[in-house]
Amino acid sequence: MSAVWAAARAAIRRRRLQTFVIALVALLCTATAVVSLALLDATSAPFDRAFEQQQGPHAVAFYDPAKVTPEQLAGARNGVAAGAGPFGQTVAETRAAGPVGSMLGPLAIVGRADPAGEVDRLDVWRGRWPAAPGEITLNAPPEDDAGFARGPMGHLSTLTVNGTTLTVVGWAYSVSHSADAWVTPEQMTAWRPSGLQMLYRFAGDVSTRDAVEERLAGVLPGGALLAAQPYQVVKEEAAETAGVYLPFLGAFGVLGLLVAVIIVGNVVSGAVVSGFRHIGVLKSLGFTPRQVVGVYLTMVIVPATAGAILGTGLGAVGAQPLLADTFRGLGYGQGTGVELRVWAAGLLGVPALVLVAALLPASRAHRLSAAEAISAGSAPRPGRALRVQRLLGGTRLPRSISLGLGLPFARPGRTALTMASLLIGVTTVTLATGLAGTLIETSRLDAAAGGDVGVRPGVAGPAGGPTTERGDREIEALLRGLPGAAKVGASAGLTVPVVGQSSPVQVNFIRGDVAAMGYQAQLLEGRWLAGPDEVVASAELINKRGLAVGDTMVLQLEGGRTTVTIVGETMQSLPGPGDGLFAAWRDLPGLDPFAFYYQVELAEGADVQAFTAAVRAADPGLTVWDNTDVTDLTIVITGISTVLALLLAAVAALGVLNTVALNVQDRRRDLGMLKSIGMTPRQVLTMLVTSMAALGVAGGLLGIPFGMAAHRLVIPLAADAAKVTLPDYVMRVWDPATLALLVVSGVLIAVLGALLPARSAARLSIARVLHNE
Amino acid sequence: MTTETVVRLDRVRKEYGETAALDGVSLTIRRGEAVAVMGPSGCGKSTLLNMIAGLDRPTSGEVTVHGERLDAMNETRLALFRRHHLGMIFQFFNLLDDLSALDNVALAAQLTGSSAATARRRALELFDELGITDRRDVYPAALSGGERQRVAVARALMNRPALLLADEPTGALDSRAGEQVMDLLIDLNQIGQTLLIVTHDARLAHRCASRLVELADGRIAAESALDRV
Repeated sequence: MSAVWAAARAAIRRRRLQTFVIALVALLCTATAVVSLALLDATSAPFDRAFEQQQGPHAVAFYDPAKVTPEQLAGARNGVAAGAGPFGQTVAETRAAGPVGSMLGPLAIVGRADPAGEVDRLDVWRGRWPAAPGEITLNAPPEDDAGFARGPMGHLSTLTVNGTTLTVVGWAYSVSHSADAWVTPEQMTAWRPSGLQMLYRFAGDVSTRDAVEERLAGVLPGGALLAAQPYQVVKEEAAETAGVYLPFLGAFGVLGLLVAVIIVGNVVSGAVVSGFRHIGVLKSLGFTPRQVVGVYLTMVIVPATAGAILGTGLGAVGAQPLLADTFRGLGYGQGTGVELRVWAAGLLGVPALVLVAALLPASRAHRLSAAEAISAGSAPRPGRALRVQRLLGGTRLPRSISLGLGLPFARPGRTALTMASLLIGVTTVTLATGLAGTLIETSRLDAAAGGDVGVRPGVAGPAGGPTTERGDREIEALLRGLPGAAKVGASAGLTVPVVGQSSPVQVNFIRGDVAAMGYQAQLLEGRWLAGPDEVVASAELINKRGLAVGDTMVLQLEGGRTTVTIVGETMQSLPGPGDGLFAAWRDLPGLDPFAFYYQVELAEGADVQAFTAAVRAADPGLTVWDNTDVTDLTIVITGISTVLALLLAAVAALGVLNTVALNVQDRRRDLGMLKSIGMTPRQVLTMLVTSMAALGVAGGLLGIPFGMAAHRLVIPLAADAAKVTLPDYVMRVWDPATLALLVVSGVLIAVLGALLPARSAARLSIARVLHNE
Repeated sequence: MTTETVVRLDRVRKEYGETAALDGVSLTIRRGEAVAVMGPSGCGKSTLLNMIAGLDRPTSGEVTVHGERLDAMNETRLALFRRHHLGMIFQFFNLLDDLSALDNVALAAQLTGSSAATARRRALELFDELGITDRRDVYPAALSGGERQRVAVARALMNRPALLLADEPTGALDSRAGEQVMDLLIDLNQIGQTLLIVTHDARLAHRCASRLVELADGRIAAESALDRV
């Protein structure tokens, strides 16, 4: 065993508390970093992972069956690494025997024998693949049982396509979105497909759309190619959704990294300063300066590495459920594990950081002579903070408190680092509080606008059931007449083509209390509609289509053209296939009964479950559901923010613990003396806790503006990524009580961190301290 | 000197593991006495001082100071007892580096609840009595050893203690400063202050004490009255 290792091992054993603190800080910092990195990594690449897992096609191509035969397509393999098809495809209007019917619109349906194959290996997550004509499987991201049963999909049992009624036998998911639904090849042949679908994976560069299109053009020259969709189209859409997570995960990641650097720097600097005497003794024994640095670095790197190993494991385990929860709803739930590069970053990153943080103070030890090093380990140099102590000594404060308030001034460097870690702790808590506040407010707006209860004409359950005999007005009257109903809004949703635009738009013709139930309150710009030629558009529609309040749109409605003016922009629209328009009610003869949707706001104190039961009892032909659930996104983001904030606050508290432990070590003699002249254990505790609580107040006061600024930065970035605009008042989550609580959080972090070493100082044996000079 | 008992130790035994630092020590100190405790290293002098100061507890036996059983008190009561009834001076002074000399002394009164102004007034009286008024605003680092020990004595006297305990009070001082501190202790005893001095220094014991207690292997080996030199 080398002398360096022997000396380092002895130092580790002797400095158990510092060793423990370094290991614990490394553990928590690594765990936080691994969780953040895993989420960031997964946020940046969930599509790639799911795409590779399904062997997604680089191009989904549609060929004209009049110009190319299936055999020619099957034989054309120029530049193709793997392919699937040809599959017959048609785009058909659909009608569904259920509430989802009005939301479906035209579907791209593909005849495909099985979901497996070389390319586009589908995830059949519910039910089965169509085995015979008359069966259909639909494309949708996976849902858990509860979500499936609650949503409109759970009520869809049959579908009418081209006059044929098909049984919905299953649900599958194609990351590449190669079709909206699949039937058997025989069924497709019976419909006479309008195109032939080929799914290609290419060899060589496929990094850009141009590269993919170039390769596709080389497969089958000629004019048979009708259209193609490079995988980048779907990937960009996926990035748009996942991009919501990036700003706040990035903010927590940066805060975590900062707090790690500060805490580790503080821990290591403190350990070096209090270790100078030991280093001086080593030098006097004949250790070379390089060996001394080696001893010192070994002393800190051993616990740091142990902490990093445990922290990486803990972070990887902790990230797993978050990853699954976060991305399952987006359809990338499977295979979202922690990547090897994240493990490597966790295992190597924090120990490397500790090493770098330790090198600076260690180099000081390298330069010092043995005599200087030994003398540097004594109590704080006189002359510091004297004026402050004198001023505090003259105040009316109890002496234990005034002494405590003066302590931070004795070691300004250590105090600055401790306050910086507290500041970041409070910044993190403030950001998490702000995020939660905004999300809950947004969710509340959502819930208010959506009413407490949603109702559609339809079947009672997935297995089918009676259809309502009531007409639209009768349903509204029924709902208004049930006990507990305060407001009832009705809407009829219609997918309407727009002159000059390639995609149709969902128009919700509204009646009753829809506006008063919250949508009007969500107005971001303009005003609510006041006439039949006025519409209010959702922010998503306005952003996606480059519209603005004041623009006009020409709708192709009831065989004619209707010009409408956008008079207002609202945060969101009614539930439907796409965020759309609100328009004044008009009677639309022949409208599918399932296009009607009702929402009910209950009176104060009314029971949602009792009301839904009453609706079912009154008319089993109505589908009714509880609309009061908080959205998954709110739960996920609030959950992740809370976990990260708690972890970083715990790390900040550890920084305080280390500072107090070092202060106690430096001031053992002073503490012994104070106790000898009558300072009680409680007063010692008060003095030490006060010294950190004061920093907690300062850290709280300084950290709150930073946290508020981070909140101001993160929320709009996330909203931009989601292509939504939030009303400014959802950002106003700060009230005096919340701000006071945030200051208290700084004090709480400081007090919790200080308590343990302060208690041990209060129990210090005076006899041992004062007689072991 | 009166017959009132300030310190009474009754068959006090203190064990550290299997070693007995004190082995059945009984001792009485009356008001106004100046008692010196001497003995070789490891004989139990510091342990005896710790017992009387309430800094440590006996394994068995009773320790009564100023009429109160210290061995039955909890930490907080011991602290309060020390605050009001005991003064201590140490070999290495134990002054707070970041308080001025005056504030170091005032601190002892402030702990009892005195206001800063009252504590500083009382501290100034003591500075005047001890002849260090001109050093009141100086910080410990800038004081000589003798001055530091005078400040420490002033702090110990701040709350008018029933008993002044001195642990090698001249051990870290040069001979001149040591002489000054000895004179100070004699003066204090002559105006009625009860003293217990633990020392290796026979000269200190013979100059300052009226009674000598000699310890050996945790027991009182000899006790004798002294004629001050």
